[in-house]
Amino acid sequence: MEKSVNAIMPGLCARVVVNVGDKISAGQEVAVINCMKTEISVKSEFAGTVSQVLSKEWDELQVGNPMVMLEVEE
Amino acid sequence: MIKKLLIANRGEIVPRIIRTCREMGVATVAVHSEADKNAPFLDLADETVLIGPANPALSYLSMEAIIQAARQTGADAVHPGYGFLSERGAFAQAVTDAGLVWVGPPPSVLKAISSKCYTRKLAVEAGAEVTPGTLEPVTSPEEVVAFGSEHGYPLFLKLDKGGGGKGIERVSEPGQAAEVLKRAGSIGQMAFGSPDCYIETVVERPRHIEVQFLADAAGNVVCLGERECSIQRRHQKIIEEALSPVVDPADRQRLYANTAAIVKKMGYVGAGTLEGLRSQDGKYYFMEVNARLQVEHPVSEFLTGVDIVRHQLEIAVGLELPWSQSDIKTQGHAIEARIYAEDPETFYPSPGVISKVVLPQTGDNLRVDHALADGCTVPPYYDPMLAKVIAYDQDRPKAIARLIEALKAFQVEGVKTTISVNLRILEHPSFLAGEMDTSFIAEHLGLT
Repeated sequence: MEKSVNAIMPGLCARVVVNVGDKISAGQEVAVINCMKTEISVKSEFAGTVSQVLSKEWDELQVGNPMVMLEVEE
Repeated sequence: MIKKLLIANRGEIVPRIIRTCREMGVATVAVHSEADKNAPFLDLADETVLIGPANPALSYLSMEAIIQAARQTGADAVHPGYGFLSERGAFAQAVTDAGLVWVGPPPSVLKAISSKCYTRKLAVEAGAEVTPGTLEPVTSPEEVVAFGSEHGYPLFLKLDKGGGGKGIERVSEPGQAAEVLKRAGSIGQMAFGSPDCYIETVVERPRHIEVQFLADAAGNVVCLGERECSIQRRHQKIIEEALSPVVDPADRQRLYANTAAIVKKMGYVGAGTLEGLRSQDGKYYFMEVNARLQVEHPVSEFLTGVDIVRHQLEIAVGLELPWSQSDIKTQGHAIEARIYAEDPETFYPSPGVISKVVLPQTGDNLRVDHALADGCTVPPYYDPMLAKVIAYDQDRPKAIARLIEALKAFQVEGVKTTISVNLRILEHPSFLAGEMDTSFIAEHLGLT
């Protein structure tokens, strides 16, 4: 099933550090948010394979906006 | 004189600049992003212009959008404030090319001093000491190793065109030289378009001492006292004061002489600051030029009675400074605390809506520079600084006491602030004794 990794703070997307097809583990950093000039690490709760990257540098983010989609094995 | 000034910035510095403009009869234009469309900093401006979305790359950092706003409103000058485009040579050039007055140093000076090696060399030629290291970029790992065997480790590779603490890389032993040089170079290439690095060694537990100056086009330079800004966290200043409790009159005289020599050699015109370090054994090292109005300028304004913004505007249109150095009197003591929208324990950012704000009583000896109002938004896209509280009194203990009293009266509801951190610093016995260096916050408050 597909799960999203969401913005945990509002701000601007600084970068997404994974690519479509990457296998990632639970707790791994997938993106960084720039909130008031502080870099906030966004980590995945789940292990899985990156199916979509939805954010790019400078995107405006609100808390809860999906940044990366993962295909998670049941 | 300038008739209508566009202020290419946001937040507290906008009403600060407008206050002087009103005294001088200069009309003002404030620009803003979508995220700032209801921001209180716009309230005092004669005109406001929306220049783009929240993303600063498309608004406050967009040269085209700002120059277009100046054309549209008929502004004849641009004040860049601090941060954003304030030290960008290309922006100064674009403003000048558009036939507008640039309130800042000449574009050619801004372009030249964007090279740290250029500035370091020039400072040495002017007779100042710079932080120990190389004056030219290093081109091979062998040079790094040779420097290390002569001066010891650790040493730091810094980007010639760098800034904002980016690309400062530590070399702890000779075996790391090649790898670190390569890494720093690639960061430099990506972030600043130049891979050049130079070497600096560490000044242990330094105090941050800087000199505020004004320079006019006729070559007159006056210094408005030094400021001590040793209380900082991750290169972000928190408390600034003038004069410094550690700088003695002979040191000050040398700092002033070095400042005037460096500024003249640069061909610098306008307001600026030379930042430096003081080592534990009392040596002063020039670090860099801040080619803009600084956040902490009010401290020097209290100390000297000089309105720095007024003189920026006058210098920009070619007026000469009305004084020489001996006319500048520094009296009493001024101290500033910056208030950030951050968690006071973790320094985690705290954007949101300020439901209620209560400001301390301002007056001849207390100034609050801010752009806050009940119900205003603190957007997550920009710097976390909310306000500055500046106190003045006849001596340091009285000025500190006045600042403490003001901070205790300052209330902000809805977002977290660092007011309590300021109070912990100001009430600390070491701080009160004037004993501090840039590791104060980590060492005495246990905060990193």
